[in-house]
Amino acid sequence: MTWPGFSALSAAWLFALLAPLILFYFLKLRRPRLEISSLALWRQVISDQRVNSPFQKFKRNLLLLLQILLLSCLVLAAMQPFWPADADRAQFIPVLIDCSASMGALDRPGGVTRLDAAKAEVGKLIDNLLPQQRMCLIALDQSARRLTDFTDNHRVLHEALHQLEVRPVPSRLEDGLRMAQALTRLAPVSAVLLITDGNLPPQSDFELPFRLTYQQVPPAGPNLGITELNARRSAAGWEVFARLEGSAGLQGLVECELWQNGEQVHTESITMVEGEAARLTFSVATAEAASLELRIRPDSFDALDVDNAAFLELPAARPLLVYCPEELFSYRHALRSHRDIDLYPRDGAADPPEVDLRFADALRNSGPKSRVTLHIGVVPGDLQPLLTIEDRLAEVVDWSRTSALLRHVQLFDVQIGENPVSRPGVGERDYELAGYEVLAQGTEGPLILERPSETGIDFFLLFHTDRSSLPFRVGFPILVANAVELALERAALSEARSWPTGTLPPHQVAPDSEFLVDTPDGRRLTVRSNAEGVLSGIPATQHGRYVVRRGSDLVANWGVSLLAASETQLATTDKLQFPETSVATSTERLRTDRPLWSWFAWAALALLLAEWWYFQRRPEGVSV
Amino acid sequence: MAGAQYTSLFDNATLARVEQMRLQPVRRLTNRSRGEHLAGKGGTSIEFHDYRDYAAGDDVRYVDWNIFARIQRPYLKLYRHEEELHVVILLDASASMQYGQKLVRARQLAAAFAVMGLLNGEKVSIDACHHRGRSPVSLAPCTGRINLKRVLEFLEAIPAAGDFPIELAVEEVLKQPRGRGMAILLSDFLTFGRLERPLNLLFSAGLEVCAIQLLTPEELRPDLAGDVRFVDCETGHTLDVSSVGDLLAIYQEHLAAMQAELSLLCRQRSGRFLCLDADTPIDSILFDVLRRKGWVR
Repeated sequence: MTWPGFSALSAAWLFALLAPLILFYFLKLRRPRLEISSLALWRQVISDQRVNSPFQKFKRNLLLLLQILLLSCLVLAAMQPFWPADADRAQFIPVLIDCSASMGALDRPGGVTRLDAAKAEVGKLIDNLLPQQRMCLIALDQSARRLTDFTDNHRVLHEALHQLEVRPVPSRLEDGLRMAQALTRLAPVSAVLLITDGNLPPQSDFELPFRLTYQQVPPAGPNLGITELNARRSAAGWEVFARLEGSAGLQGLVECELWQNGEQVHTESITMVEGEAARLTFSVATAEAASLELRIRPDSFDALDVDNAAFLELPAARPLLVYCPEELFSYRHALRSHRDIDLYPRDGAADPPEVDLRFADALRNSGPKSRVTLHIGVVPGDLQPLLTIEDRLAEVVDWSRTSALLRHVQLFDVQIGENPVSRPGVGERDYELAGYEVLAQGTEGPLILERPSETGIDFFLLFHTDRSSLPFRVGFPILVANAVELALERAALSEARSWPTGTLPPHQVAPDSEFLVDTPDGRRLTVRSNAEGVLSGIPATQHGRYVVRRGSDLVANWGVSLLAASETQLATTDKLQFPETSVATSTERLRTDRPLWSWFAWAALALLLAEWWYFQRRPEGVSV
Repeated sequence: MAGAQYTSLFDNATLARVEQMRLQPVRRLTNRSRGEHLAGKGGTSIEFHDYRDYAAGDDVRYVDWNIFARIQRPYLKLYRHEEELHVVILLDASASMQYGQKLVRARQLAAAFAVMGLLNGEKVSIDACHHRGRSPVSLAPCTGRINLKRVLEFLEAIPAAGDFPIELAVEEVLKQPRGRGMAILLSDFLTFGRLERPLNLLFSAGLEVCAIQLLTPEELRPDLAGDVRFVDCETGHTLDVSSVGDLLAIYQEHLAAMQAELSLLCRQRSGRFLCLDADTPIDSILFDVLRRKGWVR
């Protein structure tokens, strides 16, 4: 059986006040004296058996009883009693509050968001916090943010909770759990409370070092949103593709509007079928850069507004700029078969400062900057301690057939005259740690490597193709075509994709310069490009348009949309799977020690009112 | 005009009406001395009472000669005897009577009864009891209109003081020889003692008990609440009562029981009992209540 506990047991000495209370009552210090003719009748009254019955005694001393009860209630309230919820009472309670996009969903028209429901739950927890307990609030969206330190200050906790808002980004549970794990270094955390709508990935690689209480708020209503928006270049301009998805139970008509540079250019009504996604295709005939916005208006209740609009930036049409030294004749030959390519160097034209694709070998490793670079027969300087190139035949063991560069490229039976050999003890892991991905593996070392960077992507063929039979194979023009295709994608010349919320895409600008970013919620950020002229890491936690300026000059204008199918579908998972355990959602509220002092305080107030009424009521005289 | 009042106890008009009234005792408890009350035994009045056989030595003037002529036997005619009534007025003048109009009303009633007695040729004596252990302040038995002023002045001068309980006061009064008649007790009867013994003494002394209880409205219908410390004005003793408002109903029951007991005690001794609100006007008491109750005529 569970007995109530007391947080301030030392306050029990206040019960000693009962002694003077009873003493003063019986001394009747304030009893009025009334002189009468004789006590004869009153003595008979007092001696009456009915007056001396226990009930009458109780009635006569009701005032004393009320005062004793009142004092007892006040003392008990001062002792801060609580009803223990668990044997091992948690002293430090980190609370992870999901504030991702799906938490902004309403449960019904005019209802409350999931975050508001979660706030109400956490608010109750804060109110029920015992004096020895400390709570730490952590906001969880695409990253985790600690809102408060471990504190028992209700005002601080309520204030932090009040300021918490929904961010239209997907949630990343592991970040929140890692932050909670980090808190275990500050305080003995045994249990963590996660309050969410359940829209989380069902599996996680995080190994729980603590007990996780997974609590779901009530589910939201039906929702429809845009989960994809991209475009592919066509002969007439662009083909725009959109994907609409809905939550379970959603069906009905949806009005779709496509806006180009602020003007409505297409409108279409589609019927959503429950459990199925809808695909939309629009043709946009333009060679100029354009800003597209797709808006949808369901004819029924839509729980989430933030996914009802998506933005897409279409670049202006231009030929792909490729730099390939004339000495790499086989590559230039393969490139000539592609249309819409400006190949450099060429006679009578200066090299552009930046190209989309560049080919280079060890002897001719100079030229303009590029987004995609194919290094032929080049060993990066940081890899030279890891391998050597030996003049003997190399044999291809395997290669990544799904990589963008080697798709449909057959490397078997290719004769390679240079053999990259990893130094003893060097394995694939070492190349990965150096930032490289092995695309093709030889018998003694890697043959082809890929290294992504902020500004683009570099491929390294560690052997020179001139010393191999690759240029004479069918796969060679395919390899070049893959490189061209990759450059087209990187330059957004073949495809354009809408950018999701989170961070803005890296942008090549003037190095070491300051820029101003106007966010959709009216804030203005100041950011600075790095030494390589890359502007990156700009937070985009609101959906809408972000305008980047340098002084008064417009640098970029990005539309950022939610575009997260998991958030739009509002799918919930009842069980989170971790490497060694699983955590099921708890239908019950987190069982914390329940303070009882307020009940005693209310009881004291009620007793005070009863005493006042009893004292002030009219006497029960006999009407004659 | 106030200066023209015969007494301060009540006005002249009331006094004049009282003078026309007579006491109406239930029993004929009279003294042998002649008075205006007809005794049951044979007397010399003109009112026939009975016959009896002639005995030697009887006054032959009372022989009914008509009967003697018819049956040749002498029978004596008996007539009612007019005897004197002793009106003993015992006035409780202890401190408890000073509350409200109790003592004032008691003195007025005593004066009224005395006036009725004096003007009816009765012997009237008045005793006022103050302090326990001391003799009552007494007015010696007197009769006739000539003593009217003295009786009224005696009553006007009676203060309220002391702690003489009524039951002891009766015994103290009966220590003095009294004639037969009626004893009028004017008190609040709020006493701790028993009243059987004094009433028995009065009864055995040939006095018809006429007890009048005078209580203030606060004693009849108390309106109290909360916790009170009662102080006895005579003894100074205290009594703490909590939630006195809850006990008023029981108080009323005890008051009614006390009055019923007093009434029963008096009736068992051929007496009468009456409880009066001391705030009731004296005219209303004398000319309405007492007449309707048959105490006076």
